[in-house]
Formats: sequence, C-alpha cells, structure tokens
Amino acid sequence: MSASFPPSEPRPDSEGNSDRMRAVARYSGIAAQMIATIGLSTWAGYWLDKHFQTKTPWFTLSLMLLGLFAALYNVIRSVTKEH
Amino acid sequence: MKRLLLALLCLFSFSVYANEPTSTQEEATDKEAFSPGEMILHHIGDAHEWHFATLGDEEHGTHLTLPLPVIAFRPGKGLSVFSSSQLAEGKTYDGLKLEHEHLVSEDGSKVYDFSITKNVASLMLSAALLLLVFTSVARGYAKRGSGAPKGIQSFFEPIIVFVRDEVAKKSIGPKYERYMPYLLTVFFFIWFNNLLGLVPGGANLTGNIAVTLTLAVLTLLITLFSSNKNYWHHIFATPGVPKALLPIMIPVEIIGIFVKPFSLMVRLFANITAGHIVILSFISLIFIFRNIGVAPVTLAFGLFINMLELLVAILQAYIFTLLTAMYIGGAVEEHHDADYQMGGGNGADEAHAHAH
Repeated sequence: MSASFPPSEPRPDSEGNSDRMRAVARYSGIAAQMIATIGLSTWAGYWLDKHFQTKTPWFTLSLMLLGLFAALYNVIRSVTKEH
Repeated sequence: MKRLLLALLCLFSFSVYANEPTSTQEEATDKEAFSPGEMILHHIGDAHEWHFATLGDEEHGTHLTLPLPVIAFRPGKGLSVFSSSQLAEGKTYDGLKLEHEHLVSEDGSKVYDFSITKNVASLMLSAALLLLVFTSVARGYAKRGSGAPKGIQSFFEPIIVFVRDEVAKKSIGPKYERYMPYLLTVFFFIWFNNLLGLVPGGANLTGNIAVTLTLAVLTLLITLFSSNKNYWHHIFATPGVPKALLPIMIPVEIIGIFVKPFSLMVRLFANITAGHIVILSFISLIFIFRNIGVAPVTLAFGLFINMLELLVAILQAYIFTLLTAMYIGGAVEEHHDADYQMGGGNGADEAHAHAH
C-alpha cells in the first residue's frame, strides 16, 4: 500500500505554517516544564519539612529557590539553543 | 458537496438547542430550582446508561434511554452482569446501587466496576466506525493503486498525506515511516471522537481524562522505547551545561520526560471539556433567567461556540499528533555537531556528502 501511495511533493507555501506551529508547540512545552519544576521542588521541600518536623521551613525555602533557579536556567538554555 | 456541507452545518447547529432543553425544561418549570452546575456535570460525565432525552415530566414522563450492561466484580461474590435499567432511579439490584453514577454495594464492600458505560459504548462505536471507514480507504488503494482516488478515499487522502508530510516527516525525520500507523490512528481517533462528542446525545469521550491519559501513556511508552543513545545523553549529560549544574539539571530533564505527556493529557481533556461546558452554560442561561428574551442571544453564542468546537475538534487532533511526532522525533534524533557549538549544521552534511 505504501508503494502505491502518492509521493510527497515539495510545498513551499505551507512550509512556514507548520514550522511556526512546531515552534509554538516547543515553547508551550517549556512553560509546562517550568511550572512542574518549581511546583515539584516546592512540594518536595514541603514534604521534607513535614517529615523532619523542622521549626523553620528551610527545606521548602531552599528547594523552592533551587527549583526556581533550575526552571529559569532551563528556560534560558532552551530559548537560546539554536535549532 | 456544498449542499452536503450546508446540511451538516444545519444539523450541528440544531444540536445545540435540540440537545439540552428537553431534560432541563421540566426542572425549570418545576418549583425546585434549576441547577446548571449539576446538569452540566451530568452531561460531560460518564454514565451507566445512555440517556438521550426526557419527554414530559421528569417523574412521569418517558425517558429515552438506552440501557447498557453493568458488569461488576466483587471479591467473594464473583461476577454479576445485568442491565443498567435494573439500577434506574436509585433502585437496588443484587446488592448493588448507583450513587452519583458510582457503583457501590449496599454493605459497603469493594466493587470493581467493569461496566460497558456510555463512554465505553461510544468508544466501541467509534472503533467500529474507524475500522469501517479506513478499511474502505485501504481497499481503494488496493484496487486503484496510485491512480486517482475515489469516493471516501479522496476525502481522506489529503489528510493522510498532510499527517505524513507536514507532521511525521518534518518532526521525526528519515525514520518517520514506522511511526505512521500510530500517528494516523491517534489523529483520526481523536478527531472522530471529538466530532462524535458534538453530535446530539453523543458521549464526551475525548473530554474524559482516563481516555486522554491512555493516549498520553502510549505516546510516552513509544517515545521511551524508540529512544536512542543521543536522547539519554541529552538528559544525563546535557550538552552546553557546566558539570557543576548537572545535579540540578538532571532532575529538571527527568521531570521534562513526564511533563510532556502530562501536558498532552491535560490539553485534550481541558479543551474538549471546556467547550462542552461553555455551550451548556449558554443554554442554561435561558433557564436561569426564565425569560424567552435571552434565548436568541444565548442561542447565537451557543451556535458560535459549537461552530468553533468543530474547528477545535480537528485542531486538537492535529496538535496531539504533532506533539507526539515531535517527542518521538526528539527521541530518535541523531547526534548533531551543532549541539557542541562546533559549527556543524549544513556545512557538516556537505562535508559528509563530499567524502562519499
């Protein structure tokens, strides 16, 4: 069946459109990853504070900031990467 | 063709106001208050019976309902199979009853519900429809070969070619061919079920998070099982990241593996569910205001959103397929010199070509 299927023709007019869609898709994924990174690291810190019964929530604070840093670093790295 | 499209449009537009009022009118005219939230959640949720409409009074009227089989398994008691009509209106059968569409036993023991619910029935119907349509398309190619397509084949050929050329080839690269069956299946499954969800009385299948979860897990598994060395190298030793930062970046990259399919799951679920909720909310406005004067406005808005949903149906199928293809593309991508800021790119390809 694949042999009898119409061969692909170069379609220069539609090329830009699907490439733009691809870029939109890539950048929307970066946002989701940023939210997940900050959220999960904060949650991990919160859990650790509960587990060790700390008076001051050091784990929450440090892991939240670390998550924020990692997420921002990842965003900057992703958008400056050449494709 | 134009006339057919027009007829289809009319059919879909009627669905907005043919669908809902029948069951809600009575509630509004009754003394008891009409609760739009309850009605909307009932319409977008799963059910053990397939309810189409209620003619007349809620209590004395006729319910146009298709009873579906209930299959329950209880440890110790074994399997029980019966019609969902036995459980209608809060009735108890064989020690089982429905509490907010949730099958529970009277004595509180554990029940495993394997029922053919509205969504499962809809899934089977759409599977049969997809098989029917695409075996007919495949037969067309077997019969006519590369000749001009005919009938239903000519409608689907441009879409299949689009998925192959614009989605698979550009996102995955030279190894696209073996992922085509999955990409096409996902595309047409989501598109068909989105459209079936807009048909009056249809089930909200792609707006069910269990269905989108299954699709997302399939994408995750295919991505992981087709991943190469380069993919894992990017995760555990991301090029361009200083060694000291790797302990931080590796968890971020691992989170990224799971965030991608998670966002696929939520995107499809949220888009389809939101569309249904918006349409039903506009219809509900008539019964909240109890005024015929608002009907033209809300119906116009409902119609507009319904038209938009027709576009969203194919758009969401396209986005899911495109992202799946991009994730697979990232997993099968070969090593690039450009990642190490060594020039690379087109120049390197030419150098390879000259060497041969």
